[in-house]
Amino acid sequence: MADAKALLAAWSTRSGGEAEAWARARPGPSVEAIATRISRVPQAFLDERVSLVALAGDILGAPLSAAAFEEDARVRRGAAVGLWLVASEGLVEPFAPAIAGAWTALAVDALALRLAPVVDPAQWLSDDERRVEAARTFLLWCGFVPLGEDRRTARSLLEACDSLARNRALAKAYEGHRHRADIARKLEEARRKEAAARYSSE
Amino acid sequence: MLTDAERWPTLDAEGAARLLRWRTHPDAPAWTHATGDRLSAAAIDRVRHPLSTVDWLPAHLADARRTLHYGNMPADADLEDFPTISRADLMADIAAFVPLDADLERMLHGTSSGSTGAALLIPDDVEEVARGFHLLVALAAPAGASVTAEGERMAVANLVFQRQAFTYVSVISSFGQRAMARINLHSSSWRDLAARARFLAEADPQVLSGHPASLAEVLDGGLEAVLHPKAIFSGAMALAAPLRVRLEAAFDCPVVDVYGLHETRPIAARFDDGPFRVLDRRVHVEVLSPSSDASVPFGQMGEIVVTAGENALLPLVRYRTGDYGRLVRLDDGALGIADLEGRENTRFLAADGSLVPCVELTQQLQAHGAQGWSVEQDAAGAVRAVMAGGDETGARSALEALLGAPIELRRVRRLIDLGEGKPRRYRSAVPD
Repeated sequence: MADAKALLAAWSTRSGGEAEAWARARPGPSVEAIATRISRVPQAFLDERVSLVALAGDILGAPLSAAAFEEDARVRRGAAVGLWLVASEGLVEPFAPAIAGAWTALAVDALALRLAPVVDPAQWLSDDERRVEAARTFLLWCGFVPLGEDRRTARSLLEACDSLARNRALAKAYEGHRHRADIARKLEEARRKEAAARYSSE
Repeated sequence: MLTDAERWPTLDAEGAARLLRWRTHPDAPAWTHATGDRLSAAAIDRVRHPLSTVDWLPAHLADARRTLHYGNMPADADLEDFPTISRADLMADIAAFVPLDADLERMLHGTSSGSTGAALLIPDDVEEVARGFHLLVALAAPAGASVTAEGERMAVANLVFQRQAFTYVSVISSFGQRAMARINLHSSSWRDLAARARFLAEADPQVLSGHPASLAEVLDGGLEAVLHPKAIFSGAMALAAPLRVRLEAAFDCPVVDVYGLHETRPIAARFDDGPFRVLDRRVHVEVLSPSSDASVPFGQMGEIVVTAGENALLPLVRYRTGDYGRLVRLDDGALGIADLEGRENTRFLAADGSLVPCVELTQQLQAHGAQGWSVEQDAAGAVRAVMAGGDETGARSALEALLGAPIELRRVRRLIDLGEGKPRRYRSAVPD
């Protein structure tokens, strides 16, 4: 099993920034709709014999960062639940609005790399609160604010149910990973954007 | 790429006209970039004034404790309790020195070549960078240089002298939207040298800034007749006394040698060949033993260690500069740095007789991945170089192209293989 800190580090590099995710979030499906659909995940998706790479290829047509950690059962199950949410729009019915779009692979990775290392996906199925946490996590990284909520409310509700915050050691490690990824991303953005005028030689 | 409205959010018609004038001037060099200061109206007001230095150090240490690196320092820790850090610490994990609550929207991308070679990425603060112009004005004022936003003279020309350079024309939002430019004096940037002289005569910058190689070219290139600077600022490497004398004789204006690193921002300055005066800004200078965090007795030589609080995105505590000097008390009681060593200004003789500034060798060595190096030219012109890490073949051909002659280059694996102590990067026995 991969180290939770290593998985969170991978997620920090992958995520593109939490502030950015909130900034782009638009009204989406309800938390209840997503949570209910999570509870109906077919066993076939959770079957460890099914290749995550193949499943992602079939459903997303794109690779997942989580695939690098497929040998970790939590990661595999977390990704499988996310892939089920995406696939269910065709197999059950589309969400309102539909979730398929530019951010779906990121949302699947969020479940696999951000939440699964902290809360085993088995608990998403057995515990209502953890299922809501999974639903809110998925919606954020899929580019959505839950139906009926504004960004501020949605953010505070996700923070309130964030299991990572209750694990001090892991939360501190994650804060470091996230900060480093944020700085690297902002420096790269600044480099690509443009320099600023300078007045003397250093 | 930004739009002009993003580069100068308050740009007015007069500022835009100045930009257009210098961008399209018939004698203008080929500007390689466009860049502005990004200042909002509120930021313009802030950058005109220096940051307060009243009780800055305790607040600065509190800022530092909000970084990953210093997160475990006790709240009551004094400055002396903080272990020193070095460039290698910043190279290894720059993000660990940025406060967790820093406003990253103010971040600019800076790079520093530094004294041991490998480039370091630095998060610069947009307001601190803009404040840099007003620091020049404030430094020049007591020496009798009145730099004003009147008339159409360029406010400042930051001069470089290298084959390839990042150049642009800009306006200074906080200085009446007067023009400034980063100008490469190298002949390859201009249609011909007459165009260079005409352009500079018309721009006639109030302030010239640069490093010794570019300032030397002002004189060697016969530009003293067309320029009338009110103040000259030299930085990045040591300004040799003979060059200062020539600049003062040519322009009869203050010539200010500024000591600072990109990481720390300006630390100290001098108007003559005496000690540097530590600037009245958020900077605290200590001189420590090179091998421990202990201070050397006041007045004795040691490594210059700086606590620097001007860049809110990089609050450094006890940063080892790699430069050496000794603390002295100036006549008015202010703190000074005497016998500063470490910065270099070496030029190498190329086969065609031209003198190549060491900054050009630095660029090539860094481009080929060298982490450090030493390059020596003997009196007969032969060049022997050692590089730590990097692509030996690529570096050799780049240096040979630069100098127009074969060189002897040896690659070693580690920086330490260059020798103990502070690496001396450049030495040339040919007459400069």
